[in-house]
Amino acid sequence: MDTSSRHASSVIDPKLMAQVVKGDHQAFSQLYDQSSALLFTLALRILGNRDEAAELLQDIYLEIWRKVARYDVGRGTPMAWLVTLTRSRAIDRLRARASKTPPGVDSTEPSLDHLPDQSPNPFEIQADHELRNAVGKALAELPEAQRQALELAYYEGLSHTDIAARLNQPVGTIKTRIKLGMNKLRAALRGCSSQGEAR
Amino acid sequence: MIHEEFEEAVPLYAVGALERTDRQAFEAHLLSGCPSCHAALKEYQAVAALLPYGLAPTPPPRGLKAKIMAARSPANPEAAKRSSQPSLEPGEWMNHLFPPLSSTRSFPSNAARFVLAFAGLLVVAGAGYVGWTLYLQAPAETERLQQLETALQRESAKMASLQREIKEKEAALAQLRQELERRDAEIGELRDTLIRREAELDDAQAQLAQLEKHGAAFRRVRAQQDEIAALLRMPTVKVVSLSGSDLAKGAGGLLLYDPDTKKAWLYAFNLPPLPGGKTYQLWAIEQKPVSAGTFTPDTGQKGRLLIKHLPDFSRINQFAVSLEPAGGRPQPTGAIYLSGRL
Repeated sequence: MDTSSRHASSVIDPKLMAQVVKGDHQAFSQLYDQSSALLFTLALRILGNRDEAAELLQDIYLEIWRKVARYDVGRGTPMAWLVTLTRSRAIDRLRARASKTPPGVDSTEPSLDHLPDQSPNPFEIQADHELRNAVGKALAELPEAQRQALELAYYEGLSHTDIAARLNQPVGTIKTRIKLGMNKLRAALRGCSSQGEAR
Repeated sequence: MIHEEFEEAVPLYAVGALERTDRQAFEAHLLSGCPSCHAALKEYQAVAALLPYGLAPTPPPRGLKAKIMAARSPANPEAAKRSSQPSLEPGEWMNHLFPPLSSTRSFPSNAARFVLAFAGLLVVAGAGYVGWTLYLQAPAETERLQQLETALQRESAKMASLQREIKEKEAALAQLRQELERRDAEIGELRDTLIRREAELDDAQAQLAQLEKHGAAFRRVRAQQDEIAALLRMPTVKVVSLSGSDLAKGAGGLLLYDPDTKKAWLYAFNLPPLPGGKTYQLWAIEQKPVSAGTFTPDTGQKGRLLIKHLPDFSRINQFAVSLEPAGGRPQPTGAIYLSGRL
């Protein structure tokens, strides 16, 4: 593996996951280097709190090390698996938190400000940079209403009924927006082979 | 929900937007093994997993990696406890990806490591004992080794002897094979001879049959001759001479007949060879001709005919031979070749 892709999250080798399962410390360290930035970004986006996001990441990596969470090569790329795992755990935390604190205290309105910064980033590797550009472009080309519905579902764990209530729109409209948005993303990202499954 | 509704639900499920009841129904549908929904879900989940790439990247805290690396030690169970909370997203169908924590999986435990260490000590101790025992038994083993070598040499000699025997047997077997091949060749020749002899036998049988046929003919001729001799011995026998007509001028015949026994015997000679489908017929004539029989001349153009019963012989005054169609006719239809009066 060359140095340009050594830290790219989008090109994590399934063999690396196998080495981690075998207890290879170096492989585990490399997995962290390749994936932690994206997973932390995701956790922070969902939880809105750096400490909590860091805590979540710690839990997830320890689960992987202790083989509590196991990667299955038949379910997609390693990074897709890690993203799905992180989102799932973060949404769990979000819901647990919402059940303890009154709603609206730290609720976040859908923001359009988190589109990727196109300026050079020291944590970004070329392979990831291209993927970020592709995903950013695909999201930017979505109608705002569709992107908003997708983000509320994905980052805030809201069901289409919750989103409809939040946006004061009919449920059918929200479902249509999500479906249209996902279909457009799927078509736009069909060529992103580095992630393996979006084809 | 019907299949089309499940298909519609795939993108919603992938992004986590389904209600709990719909999600459970969809997961049940997936568990039923619907291949198209599985394939579609795989695609949409891959798309959903790309969404975080649309976020502005934020590096994790600097000390997080060191903290995680340190927390991997089993002496720090706090993190393991924290991560044991069940996940509700994206649903039961994905639970194989995120199974709950199990304390039995944090292997090796202290107890297990103790057991392993004890087992290791046992192995080392056992190996040492075996080594010491072998050292003590070395002279005895040397003697035993010599005995074994002697036995091996004996067995080698036996083996060489056996190999010689095998070679001799092989040579004998080869000779037997050659002998067998020679015998096979002889049997083949005998078989050919037998076939030739069988063919000769067939010929001989055919000749015998021919001879028997000739013998029968001879016996018939002999019987006729006996009849003729008997006829000639009759004192009442009469003789009629037949002469050839214009059609057979060189031909002639002799007819003997006995009025008492009504027997007659015709002997004809120099008759022309019969055309195909024709026969000679003898007529006894009084007022009109009466057939006395048909005959065929032999290769010497000699014809013989024995008539055992001629009616009204006393009134016959002429005999004639005509050429008739095969089988004869009730009345003469062909030309007269021989004729003679009493």
